[in-house]
Formats: sequence, C-alpha cells, structure tokens
Amino acid sequence: MSPPFLGSLFGPVCEIDVVLNDADSRKTAELKMEDGKVEKHFLFYDGESVAGKVSLPMMMMMKLPLPRHSELFGDKSNTHEFVNLVKELALPGELTQNRSYDFEFMQVEKPYESYVGANVRLRYFLKVTIVRRLSDLVREYDLVVHQLATYPDVNNSIKMEVGIEDCLHIEFEYNKSKYHLKDVIVGKIYFLLVRIKIQHMELQLIKKEITGIGPSTTTETETVAKYEIMDGAPVKGESIPIRLFLAGYDLTATMRDVNKKFSVRYFLNLVLVDEEDRRYFKQQEIVLWRKAPEKLRKRNFHQRYESPESRPVVSAEQPEM
Amino acid sequence: MPATQQSMQDDQEKLLDEAVQAVKVQSFQMKRCLDKNKLMDALKHASNTLGELRTSMLSPKSYYELYMAISDELHYLEIYLTDEFAKGRKVADLYELVQYAGNIIPRLYLLITVGVVYVKSFSQSRRDILKDLVEMCRGVQHPLRGLFLRNYLLQCTRNVLPDDGEVTEEGTTGDINDSVDFVLLNFAEMNKLWVRMQHQGHSRDREKREKERQELRILVGTNLVRLSQLEGVNVDKYTQVVLPGILDQAVNCRDSLAQEYLMECIIQVFPDEFHLQTLNSFLRACAELHQNVNVKNIIIALIDRLALFAHREDGPGIPADIKLFDVFSQQVASVIQSRQEMPSEDVVSLQVSLINLAMKCYPDRIDYVDKVLETTLEIFNKMNLEHMATSSAVSKELMRLLKIPVDIYNNILTVLQLQHFHPLFEYFDYESRKIMSSYMLGNTLDNNTVIKAQEQVDAVLKLVSTLIQDQPDQPSEDPDPEDFAEEQNLVGRFIHMLHSEDPDQQYMILNTARKHFGAGGNQRIRFTLPPLVFAAYQLAFRYKESSSVDEKWEKKCQKIFSFAHQTISALIKAELAELPLRLFLQGALAAGEIGFENHETVAYEFMSQAFSLYEDEISDSKAQLSAITLIIGTFERSKCFSEENHEPLRTQCALAASKLLKKADQCRAVGTCAQLFWSGRSSDKNGEEIQDEKRVMECLKKALKIANQCMDSSLQVQLFIEILNRYIYFHEKQNEAVTVQVLNQLIQKVQDDLPNLEACEEAELIKKHFHNTLEHLRVRKESSEADGAAYDGLLL
Repeated sequence: MSPPFLGSLFGPVCEIDVVLNDADSRKTAELKMEDGKVEKHFLFYDGESVAGKVSLPMMMMMKLPLPRHSELFGDKSNTHEFVNLVKELALPGELTQNRSYDFEFMQVEKPYESYVGANVRLRYFLKVTIVRRLSDLVREYDLVVHQLATYPDVNNSIKMEVGIEDCLHIEFEYNKSKYHLKDVIVGKIYFLLVRIKIQHMELQLIKKEITGIGPSTTTETETVAKYEIMDGAPVKGESIPIRLFLAGYDLTATMRDVNKKFSVRYFLNLVLVDEEDRRYFKQQEIVLWRKAPEKLRKRNFHQRYESPESRPVVSAEQPEM
Repeated sequence: MPATQQSMQDDQEKLLDEAVQAVKVQSFQMKRCLDKNKLMDALKHASNTLGELRTSMLSPKSYYELYMAISDELHYLEIYLTDEFAKGRKVADLYELVQYAGNIIPRLYLLITVGVVYVKSFSQSRRDILKDLVEMCRGVQHPLRGLFLRNYLLQCTRNVLPDDGEVTEEGTTGDINDSVDFVLLNFAEMNKLWVRMQHQGHSRDREKREKERQELRILVGTNLVRLSQLEGVNVDKYTQVVLPGILDQAVNCRDSLAQEYLMECIIQVFPDEFHLQTLNSFLRACAELHQNVNVKNIIIALIDRLALFAHREDGPGIPADIKLFDVFSQQVASVIQSRQEMPSEDVVSLQVSLINLAMKCYPDRIDYVDKVLETTLEIFNKMNLEHMATSSAVSKELMRLLKIPVDIYNNILTVLQLQHFHPLFEYFDYESRKIMSSYMLGNTLDNNTVIKAQEQVDAVLKLVSTLIQDQPDQPSEDPDPEDFAEEQNLVGRFIHMLHSEDPDQQYMILNTARKHFGAGGNQRIRFTLPPLVFAAYQLAFRYKESSSVDEKWEKKCQKIFSFAHQTISALIKAELAELPLRLFLQGALAAGEIGFENHETVAYEFMSQAFSLYEDEISDSKAQLSAITLIIGTFERSKCFSEENHEPLRTQCALAASKLLKKADQCRAVGTCAQLFWSGRSSDKNGEEIQDEKRVMECLKKALKIANQCMDSSLQVQLFIEILNRYIYFHEKQNEAVTVQVLNQLIQKVQDDLPNLEACEEAELIKKHFHNTLEHLRVRKESSEADGAAYDGLLL
C-alpha cells in the first residue's frame, strides 16, 4: 500500500511522483496529526538509506533535499531545520518529455523520532523542488522515523512510601521505571494507614510536552489514560494490584531536549479520591521507550538507549502527598 | 417512620427499575453485535451493562436483583465466546483487551467472564488464570460490590476448579491445592468485606446493617460449600489446610455475627467424618471467639450432629481411637473458662448437649453422665448460686439437664447411681424440686421400676423429699387441694413400687419408707401411710406362705402387725378416724386370716381400736352407719375369735347399732346385726356358724319395732320391705323361727300400707322393690322341693 500523494497541489500540469525503491517491502507507520487525523507513511530507522525515483513530466531544474525540522505550531515561522541533505538531480534545462530521476541518500543519520504534539512537530520529508522562472514547484513527501532502543541496562522498580501524617500512609510499587510502548505496568499499593474514607483510586498516565528553553518554556499536559484501580475504601493492610497495558494507548517514547527545542515526558499519577471528593495524588515519572520489532531485534544499533536519572521527582503543584 | 420507609422502598424500586431497563437496552445491543460477530462492539455494550453495577444507591436486596439480571446476560456472552473458541475462532489477546476498560467493576466482571472461557479453551492456562482472577478482584474494596464480584467469580469458576479425579486434557495445569488456595483466598477476602460492612455508615443504622449482612451471608458461605464439594478435599486436606484456613479467618475477624455464621456453616457443610478428626482445633477456636458469640449454639449444633452420626444405623459409628466425650468435655470446660460472661443457663445448655452426647454415643458409660453432672455442680458451686427460681432460664436448663438421664435410662435406680445428681438437684427451688420429683416418680411408675433394696428406697425418698416432707423453703400458703391430692396420690402409687422378693428386705424397706413418710405431716400421711399399711399386711401374708422355710415367721408377723398398729395410730394422731378405722378392720381380718401365734389378741386389739375410734371419733350419723356396717361386716367374716372374745364383740355391735341416732339407721344396723348371730363364727365351735335362731329373731323383731316408730310413711314401708327381705333370707337359711306366718304378716302389712303412699318416683321404686321381692318368693315357692325351706301357706 502506498501513501497518498499530494498530487492535486500540482494539478495535471506538473505531476511529480516520488517512488521509493523498496516501497513494496517497506513497512509503514501511523502518525496522528494535530487535528486528530491519522496519516500513514513509510517507516525509517536511523542510519537507513533513503533511495527512490522522482518522475517529472517536465522539468528545468530540480533540487531534492531531505530536510528534518521541527515546527512550533504556535509560531509557524519558527521552523528549525536539523539536517538538510541536498541532491541535484538535473541540470537546468528544458524538459521536453517525461523523465524520472533516481536518487539515494546513503545511511542518513536520523537521531530523533517523528513526533506530532500539541505545540511541536518533528517531521522528516523528501522535498522535490522544481526551480522555475516565476515560482518554484515544491512537492513534500513525509516519512516516519522511529527511534529504536534496546532493553535498558538499569531498570529499577519504583517503590515509595508516601502519605499524610496520621491520615494516610501508602506504599506503592511499580515494577519498572522504564517501559516500552507495548509494555504492561504491574504494581501494587499497600495501605499502611487509612484514616480517610476513600471512594476510589485511579492511575493516570500523563504526558507532558515541554517546549522552549528557559523562561519561555511552555508545558502542555495531557492525561493519556485514566484507569480506575480500586473501588471502595480499603482498610489497613490491604494491597491492591495494578496492571495497566500500554499498547492500547497512543503513546510516544520519552524525548528529552530534542535539538534543545522540546521534551516529551510521561508520568504515572496515582490519585485517591475520598468521599468528599478531595483528591490525594502522587506523580512519578516513567520513561517510555520504543522496542525494536521482533525481526529487527537482532540488528546492531549503534544508538544506545540513554538512561535518564530515575530519582523520584516531586513537583511543586502537589503538596498533599 | 413507616412513611419514610415506604418512600425509601419506592425509591429503591424506581432505581432498580431504571438500572434494569438500562441493562436490557445495553445487553440487547450486545447480543445484536454478537450475532453480527462484532465482538469489540459487543464487549463495549457488555461493559456498559456492567457499569450499572457501579451504583451505590441500591440496597443489598435490589443490588442482588440487578446482579442476577446482569449475570444472566454475561452468561450469554460466555457461551458465545466458548463456542467461538471451540470453533477455533480465537480472538488474540482478548484477556488483555478487556482490561482496557477504565472502570474497575466492568473490567473485572469481563475479565472473569473471559478468563473462564480461556480456562475452558486453553486448559494449560488454568492455574495462572484462576490465580490472576482471584488476585485482581482485590481492586474492589467496596463491601457490597466486592461481595457480588467475588460471588460472580465463584459461580463462574465452579465447573473449572481443578479437582482430584477429574478427566483433563494433556497439559492442563492446576491441581486440588490450587483450588483450595483459590477458594480459601476468595473466602477470606469476602469475609473481610462482609465484616467491613458492619463498620460503615452511621451507628444508628446498626440493626439495619446487621439485617442486611444476614441477607448476604450466604454469599460468604458459598465458598465453604464449594470447598466441601471438592473431591480432593479429603480428611487430610481438610485437617491440614482447609479448616485451619477457615478458622483463621473466623477467629481473626473478631466479628460476632460472622463468627457465629461461619462456625455453624462449617458444621453444616462438611461431613461428620471430618469433624471427628478436627474436634480439638474446632473447639479450641470456639473458645477464642468474640464474647458476644453464642458459642453454646455452635457447640450444641456440633454435638447434636455427631450424636446423630454415632446413632445412625448405616453409619460406621465413632471410631474407637477418638475419645469423643473426653475431647468435648475438656474443650467445653475451657470454652466456659474463657468466657466468664457466659450466662449460667448457657453453661447448663452446654452440659445438656454433652450429656446428650454421652447418652447417645456411650449409652453404657454412666460415669460419663456423672462426669457432666459433676462439672456442672462444680460450676454452680463456684458461682455461689442459691436455690434458683423456677421461672429462671438457668433453672429450666437444669431441669432439661436432669430430665435427660431420667428419660433415657427410664430407671430411677440407674439415675441413683449418678453421684452428682442429687447435689445438683438441690439447686432447684421448691417448685422445681416438686415438679422434678413428680416427674421422676411418674417415670418410675410408667416403667414399673421396682425398688428392691432398703438403701435405694432411702436414696429415692431423700431425692424426692419435697413431695414427702415439709421443706424449709416451701411457700407459706397451702397448695391447691386438687393438685396436692394428685401429687400425693402419685406418691401413694409409688409406694407399691417398693418391693423386694426377700421378705426381710421388704420389712426393712417398709420401715425406711415409714420413717420418711411418717415425717410428712398430717396432710400427706393420709395419702402415704395407708399404702404402707397395706404393704405391711401383704408382707405378713408372704411370711405365712414361707412358714415352712422360716421358723421365725410368726414373730415377724407380730412385728409387722405392731408396725401396722403404730402406723395407723399415726393417722389417728393426725385427727383422722374413718381411715384408721378401716385400716384396723383390714388388719383384724388379715391377722385372723394368717393365724399366727397370738393372732387372736392382735385381731381383738385391732377390732377394739376400731370400736373406740367409732365411739370416740365418729360423730356424723351417716359416717357412723357406714362405720358400724363395716365393723359388723368385718366381724362377721372373722373366724379367729374364741367365744370369750366373740361374745362381747357381737354384743357391742348390737349395742352400738341400737344406739344410732336416727330410727332408720337403727333399724338397718340392728337388722344387719342379725347376720352376726347367724353366720358369725367363733373358734370354739371349730369355725362353724353360730346360728342362734332366737337372737336372730330378736334382732329382726327389734328392727321391725324400730321401723314401726318411723314417722315417714314411705321410709317406713321401705324399711318393712328391707326387713321382709332379711326374713326371707333367714327363712331360706332354714331358721326355724322364721315361719311362713311371720312372712305373711309382714307381706300383708306392706300390702296395706303401699296404696297409701303418695304417687311419686320414690313410691314407684318402693313398689318395684316389693314386687321383685314377691316375685322372688314366688319362684322359690314353685321350686320349693329343691331347697328344703317350706313355703306352704305363703300368701302372695
């Protein structure tokens, strides 16, 4: 299946067609756009070559760059190119007949994942530019890049005792601190002291997209999953199991300071609600990573998973616990 | 309040109705999607259906109805999935998929439903899935919702639990131990939830909550039923794993309602053979239960079951190595020890069931029964109880306790062997002692239990002394005369049960009885001494029968008669007259009949005692007439008197007869005396009848003379007819002095007087009497050849 073409942009006058050499065998991946629509594009990994054929009905000069840039949606002008590889496919001249040109970018370095967020978007695309006298004809062809990681060397469980003095003491435990995107979070909550009337308890998976640096930082928070794990009021000594499958949610890997422009981080938020609807919560960062599909597992990736610090982070906005 | 209740009930109905409607709509959608094979959509509708169970608004009863409605719908889903899986259309990751449901209640119900389908379809997953399900259910801590969720788990898994003896595919995982762990864990969690219900909400709703909890208890109990249904739960597994697990929960939950129910549940659902092997641990647990728990009922239930088991004809009985009684006895003691607050009636109730156990399982072991009584006695002694009031619960229980040996043995003598019976009996108040004493005597009579030894007699009479003698604690007012008479009659009947084959022993028995009854007071002795006197006379007859083997029989008879004399004299002291008179007459007859050495003296003494009673004590004219008639009759039957004694006695009789107050009485008594001079016998004439014709005629003439003086004409005619009858008698006996002329005269006189009688019922009777008399004569006359008496010239 081939991704759709933006052919209509050019009309019948100038039909630019890009066909990848391995289009038959290459996998595709979905990407959810900011408007909620899901686009499907060919999937590339870091270091893979991008090769194909551009067919032009008529052309005078053509440039084929492989740009990678992030866009901050709030400010469309604020576009940063990370890499821009350019191949000239044809010398200037009059195109008198339909022609196609082969191209190949060898072992392109693709250090970041494709990403579409609330305020930021990271895309890889092939851009065919036909330089003309009046206006250039431009054709963009999106690719999806996945950043694979291997199993983390260190993956401690998260275990912590929190509470409010003489009111509520709990100990929670998540089996890991780093989860791959199809992973399952397994854990337990022990109730050491319960003097409040709890109504229910839920586990939330929160995504934070932090854009900008320094004082101009913007944080976009989204609750990806809201999962009730306990109904009713437990008593001292109860232990409540947690099991949350991640595969069903629309998640990306954790990203840190991507090109010093943005970060995407995930948190588990344990929320207890009492009978008067007061909420007690505790956030805990977890790292999400993309595991290589089964058949790629054997390959040797030069990219190693960077292990971030796994110390607990207590944010200022949650004084209760 | 009723109005509020009504509106609450209406609210409940409305809420339930809404929920059930929603369930109908959603489950309809679910089925439609299933029919179209849209599984994911179906699951979504199933989840929506289940969302209704998240409510907190429904009462347990309404929630139950909702639950039932939903579990039916889920069953449809389960069947669909099982079929699909069987057809090979397996849905990958279904077990994972259903876990994306955000709300825990729908999620877990779906997980259970799918889990069971997995267990059925991939038996190698059985162990893991069962374990996972029962663990994941911990997420529901709300008591009501949790109880129903876990009940659903228990219901769904009932046919897939691993068990011994099941037929499984290769690779099936899980064994009986997994099942036991599974159910025990589920049970423990359910019990915790159930107990927790008690502590929620306002304390003023306590009663309501207890009621609701009672309604829900079956949910918890089903776990135990499930355990008992597992083949693999044998005696060993029960002893080592199952029971300790249950008891641990039961004891540690510290909730009296739960404890009471669970302990009874254990008793009911598991077989007797198991209980027999675990008596100690079960009973030890009983001692540790909450003070409010009615341990008594629990232990009694167990004892009753085992007693029944031991008694069952087709059963194996109690194994010899199990000292059932000892175990119970010890454990019950320690239960009582551990519960100082236990009401004394409950303590006694426990002893009642212990005694039942001993009786049913060890009918020969009187010592066991006595041991129970001893324990009870010790407890009472420690409690420093006074006489307990009849109306008190403890008294009723004690009565139940003491009646058991009486009823089961049906032999007062066996009861007497119980050393601690009597001391315990003394704890009763007067009223209870009386009731119980009557009960025991009644039992003795019903069973014809003969009391053969003097010591036994002594013991029994001491035991029932409340009926026999005045008691320091008896009420001051007199008892109801009818009740009293009934009670004392019972005692009187009982005296006849005192009987030894050996006359000497019997004599001692009578003496002992005499001592007890003699102290009974004037009211009682009139009932109790006469039977003793009769028993004494009977004994004298027995001595006579054994005269050939017992040389001293005559002496003994004499002793018996002086015993009787003394006993009768006691009645005289009690200001009785007619009764001792009769007893003396009976004695005189008996003495004469037996004919031992000195018997005439004895008989004379008895007769003269009767006379003096007659003269001194009997003043009522009717009583006098009947007494003198009786004396005359007795004397007439006596053959033992020599002429020396006979003469004054018969003269005395005639004298007494003529001294009666009323003429009619005189007439009749004198007429009767005539008999003495005819058929009376003195020993001088070898016991032949006196047949003193002259004296007979004198008596009859005197009677006639007295009748003539009678003013009441109908009475007079009646007396004439009676005298005529006497004449006829003597005529037939060939008393020469009674001639046909005499008869004719008298008949003529009656015939003259009869028409003058006023026509009334009485006159009719008199006429009839006369007519019959004449008819008799006619018959005799027609067959006169036969009997020698001459009827020639008789005018009829």
